[in-house]
Amino acid sequence: MARSHPTDSTADGLPVLSLRGVTKTYPNGKSALRDVTLSVPEGDFVFLVGPSGAGKSTLIRLLIREELATKGKVMLEGRDLARLNRRDVPQIRRRIGIVFQDFKLLPNKSVRDNVAFALEVTGTPRSRIAPAVDRVLRVVGLAAQADQRPAELSGGEQQRTAIARALVHDPRLFIADEPTGNLDPLISWEIIQLLLRINEMGVTVLMATHNAEVVTALRKRVVGLEDGRVVRDETGAAYHRED
Amino acid sequence: MLAFVAFSLRRAWQGFWRNSVMSLAATATMVLMLMLLSGLLILWTGLHSTLDYVQSEVQVVAYLNDSATSQDVTHLTSDLKAMPQVTSVAYVSKAEALRRFQQRQPGVANLVDSLPTNPLPASFEISLRDPADYIDVATYLRGQGVVESVQDIQKTVSQMIAVINIVSTVGIVVMLVVALTVLFIIVNTIRLAVVARSEEIEIMRLVGASDAFIRWPFIFEGAFVGLLGALITIGLLVLIQAPLANLLSGFFNVLPVQASAMVGQNVALIVLATGIGIGVVGSYVSVRSYLSR
Repeated sequence: MARSHPTDSTADGLPVLSLRGVTKTYPNGKSALRDVTLSVPEGDFVFLVGPSGAGKSTLIRLLIREELATKGKVMLEGRDLARLNRRDVPQIRRRIGIVFQDFKLLPNKSVRDNVAFALEVTGTPRSRIAPAVDRVLRVVGLAAQADQRPAELSGGEQQRTAIARALVHDPRLFIADEPTGNLDPLISWEIIQLLLRINEMGVTVLMATHNAEVVTALRKRVVGLEDGRVVRDETGAAYHRED
Repeated sequence: MLAFVAFSLRRAWQGFWRNSVMSLAATATMVLMLMLLSGLLILWTGLHSTLDYVQSEVQVVAYLNDSATSQDVTHLTSDLKAMPQVTSVAYVSKAEALRRFQQRQPGVANLVDSLPTNPLPASFEISLRDPADYIDVATYLRGQGVVESVQDIQKTVSQMIAVINIVSTVGIVVMLVVALTVLFIIVNTIRLAVVARSEEIEIMRLVGASDAFIRWPFIFEGAFVGLLGALITIGLLVLIQAPLANLLSGFFNVLPVQASAMVGQNVALIVLATGIGIGVVGSYVSVRSYLSR
């Protein structure tokens, strides 16, 4: 019932991101990714699965240009990240929204200020900050908690704050690295619902996860990594290989 | 742009007080260094104006032996006046020299009366267009038979220059050592501030903040340490100005020079520029090594 995904195809639209023959070898000689080829068209929802150490985090670090590929090409919206000028990197990062397992919120700032921070540090005029923050807080359903600090929030609310912060720049690509890793199953489902809504708004979503229940239930595209290689790329698949 | 500057200044201010003990310690060492710098500057300025004064007052004084006749004197006077380096020539006769001596030392005036002859030599007092011509004129005079000796003011001048050189060299070396120490302290203070904010910096990078937004708050923080240090130093200098001026005029009381407002203004400007400069360089070095990962 799962159909294999054609690699490196732009048939279903312009790829938001594409990797061609990407290898990442660290200075200590360890290869985190080997010859990875992957294309994600606009509006796609992709689960990135695989055991710890399979290369999921390395792949994400390459996408946000925290690191450069040793070999091969990483393209984001048609731009080769390796050829990007150092001063253009921040511009590219504003096109990507990213959340992590550990939320990365600033504990001494309120929900509103945590979200506003992303606009402040990118030089957004003050007059535009407040309306943009209010808008994303409504999207994630935190308008009522805007003045609370992270410590006063539940785990799910903290993750929703992080999601609001990642959305405030209107990204084309939304990366979620184990977003439900610290959350109980019920709250995890809330976060997944939110990511699906973001996807419905036209944002491409790439979610790295170990949550088999969620992946299997949603039947989205699943890219499996093992030992740095893509071992499967199927649409409508379950967490575990079914064939 | 305005948002950027406001943001950076606000963060610099927060950063300064977030680690207030370290920031104030850095400011205190900054004040110590700037006080030392001001002391050296004031001493150096004083010595230089003394030297200028001594040099501008350079006169060649040539003592004649008693065998000089009035023809010799007339002859030498016209020769000296013909020299391009000389602006004026005054002849002081033996009698005039004695009169001056008696005027200056009234206590021993009677003593001179009891002498059989006037022991004081006649002399020429020659003013020069340029103190640098001293050697030419002195050499010429020493070649004249009637000249007994030429007073060696040059020696005094070169001794002063030697003192100024020693003060300058020692001062610059000490200043450099102290400035490097202060720089090191600033680098470390800012590094601690950077580490304390590493979480924020990580988030800033992830949401696409440019390097300028990450770097400038820390540079402003370093500049703030320098500015505060400079203002405290200038405040202290103003407080001790009156006693210091007394001390200086006691020290340099032979001179008509005063620690003028100009000197004060220059010292203040140098203190400000040095303080802010070291603060900025220190934090720049610190942040650059952190961000270039």
